[in-house]
Amino acid sequence: MNLSPDPWIWIASLLSLAIFSFLYRDNSFYRLAEHIFVGAANGWAVTFYWHRVLWPYLFDPLSRGQLYYIIPLVIGMLYFTRFIPKVSWLVRFPIGIYMGYYVGVSIPANIQAYIIKQVQGTILTPRNFQMWGAGSTGIIWSVVLFVGVICTLSYFYFSREHKGALGVTSRIGIVFVMMGFGAAFGYTVMARVSLLIGRLQFLLGPWLGIIE
Amino acid sequence: MKKTLPLFLVLILGVAGTLTYLFPHPAIVNSDTFFRNEFLRVLAGFALVLGLGSLLKVHADKIRRKRANWQYSWILIVTFVITSFIGLFGGIEGTGPLPTRIGNFPFDIWTIYWNVTVPLGATMFALLAFFMASAAYRAFRARSTEATILLAAAFVVMIGVLPLGNSISPHLPSFAQWIMDVPNVAGQRGILFGVALGGVATALKIILGIERAWLGGGKE
Amino acid sequence: MNILDLLTKIDRRIIYLVLLVVVILPLLFPKAQSTRVMLPVEKLFNAVENIPEEKALIIDFDYAPQTQPELEPMGFALLRHVFKRRIKLLVLSLYIQPLGLAQNALTRIVEEFNSVAETNADSIIYGRDYVFLGWVPPPIIPILGMGESITNVYEVDYYGNRTDTLLLMRDIKNYNDVELLVSLSGADPPKYWVAYAQNKFGLKVGAGITAVSASEYYTFLQTGQFSGLLVGMKGAAEYEELVEQRLDIKVKRKASEALLSITYAHLVMIAFIIIGNVGYFMRRRQK
Repeated sequence: MNLSPDPWIWIASLLSLAIFSFLYRDNSFYRLAEHIFVGAANGWAVTFYWHRVLWPYLFDPLSRGQLYYIIPLVIGMLYFTRFIPKVSWLVRFPIGIYMGYYVGVSIPANIQAYIIKQVQGTILTPRNFQMWGAGSTGIIWSVVLFVGVICTLSYFYFSREHKGALGVTSRIGIVFVMMGFGAAFGYTVMARVSLLIGRLQFLLGPWLGIIE
Repeated sequence: MKKTLPLFLVLILGVAGTLTYLFPHPAIVNSDTFFRNEFLRVLAGFALVLGLGSLLKVHADKIRRKRANWQYSWILIVTFVITSFIGLFGGIEGTGPLPTRIGNFPFDIWTIYWNVTVPLGATMFALLAFFMASAAYRAFRARSTEATILLAAAFVVMIGVLPLGNSISPHLPSFAQWIMDVPNVAGQRGILFGVALGGVATALKIILGIERAWLGGGKE
Repeated sequence: MNILDLLTKIDRRIIYLVLLVVVILPLLFPKAQSTRVMLPVEKLFNAVENIPEEKALIIDFDYAPQTQPELEPMGFALLRHVFKRRIKLLVLSLYIQPLGLAQNALTRIVEEFNSVAETNADSIIYGRDYVFLGWVPPPIIPILGMGESITNVYEVDYYGNRTDTLLLMRDIKNYNDVELLVSLSGADPPKYWVAYAQNKFGLKVGAGITAVSASEYYTFLQTGQFSGLLVGMKGAAEYEELVEQRLDIKVKRKASEALLSITYAHLVMIAFIIIGNVGYFMRRRQK
């Protein structure tokens, strides 16, 4: 064991252990660490927003005489009106500008990437048969995928009762959805355990010096 | 006016945003680029105000009314003020007017980031592994055929993707990969269509002023 | 306490303890596990390998401390690949939190290469071989703006240098000079790159994602919208394997060393689920 002499490593480790203490039960060390985290993370964000965005792209050009930046400055300042009840309606302007542009740009992007391309990947074409890298078996997997997508969509169609043909396809659809969720769960377990491993590697390594 | 003007702005900008895809004329593209780079960038810099302001307001309120655990709100506010002060006046690289070192002990914004923000954020997520294990033990039951299929797929993927799976059988990783490539994609794609169509519908409703929840409540 | 209670009422702290022990033990004796490389990872490796000399790769470092253990090994392996092959590299982050982690990754791997370099030509030089563009909010600005001009979006780089004065940026103007973008992220950025940059400008996109997002992102891999995909720590381990085998770079493989811990954790998880189910069915039969 080779304990770290760096006081900051000790601070980092003790804060980590304070968070881990929540596993035993909720306690004041955990709450303390949690509130420190929120405060520090927001302080860090303020630092970067000022030094990397507001100063170089707004106040510095303004100070050099590029006065048209007054317009975004004024509109940006309207965000503060959110906290003044009498004029809080003014916050709708900056929100509306930002959101309006963003939703406008998102419509063609969503349609192309999440609908058209996905349909192209589903239909039975020679290109799709070859995507699997599985030779002639690719045709079978493409057919299974096609049937699976149609059946999944039929499961989420709730305007009619799931009876008869719709009942059959929705039953098949739910099987595909369940396999997808099962796979998602399996990978999620790996993800969560990976995060734990990362923390333990820090505690065992830089702090306690047990591992390299 | 208080609602009409913002709604009108959303309509204009929504159409403008879509226009650049449909008509890539240099005049439209240049205006779009100018708007994004000179205007939107600055606006994004102020967007932090909303989240931060709400956070500080909630905690200030907690302190004022002495709600449960109000003392921790002081910790949050003090930590925020100290970190912001160090960052704003110490500079990102520690080159600002405020000194960020006492002897060999540094306290610049990067040191705070690496030794406070990073470990705390990472550890909070590391807890999830434990909660997942406990929740899976308590709630994951093969009550029905569908749940059994879910469990079976989960077990195959959990073993198959790791070297252990390959040691048991070289077909196991291939089977796990097949589950990801075929049934998983089929199920997720059906869901993705629904989400995408819903997203487009909502976007259109916002642009056309049908969806007005973002305006906030109140008579004005 | 009868057998039924034993099976269905295990205290959560015992579960936590068992999980902690099985995860810690392999970490105390770390050994890189060899792993089978699957097609999605192979595709990404080949996509990076086949980048023409005159074109660049953009890496979008978008992992926060919360997702660092899974994505950082991917970032390290990718950087080693890029620097070994002397591929022109641009690095950016769409969000604020990953900035420090991106800088750390670049500094470490550049130092690793420069510590064994013998000449200036061998060394990795900032401005000539790679540029850290930094962060410009909101994400839509760099994603769409770089299609027209990278230096217009990033007028200064992360270190405050004017980007139009850097040697690398004289040849790399916009997406036409970029062959591939790889987004390392625990959230939606890879989808944004596909929906906006690929859609409008035809940019090829690869992704390194957390295992949580795997299920969702496979739909983009199947359509070819992703040129390749690395998933979680396993994906990172596979890329590390390829970097060692094909590029002959022998370094500590952090993701590969963690695979044994993950294996034991998975087995413990499966065991607890089975125990819970056995208890459930026994109780049901009793009723």
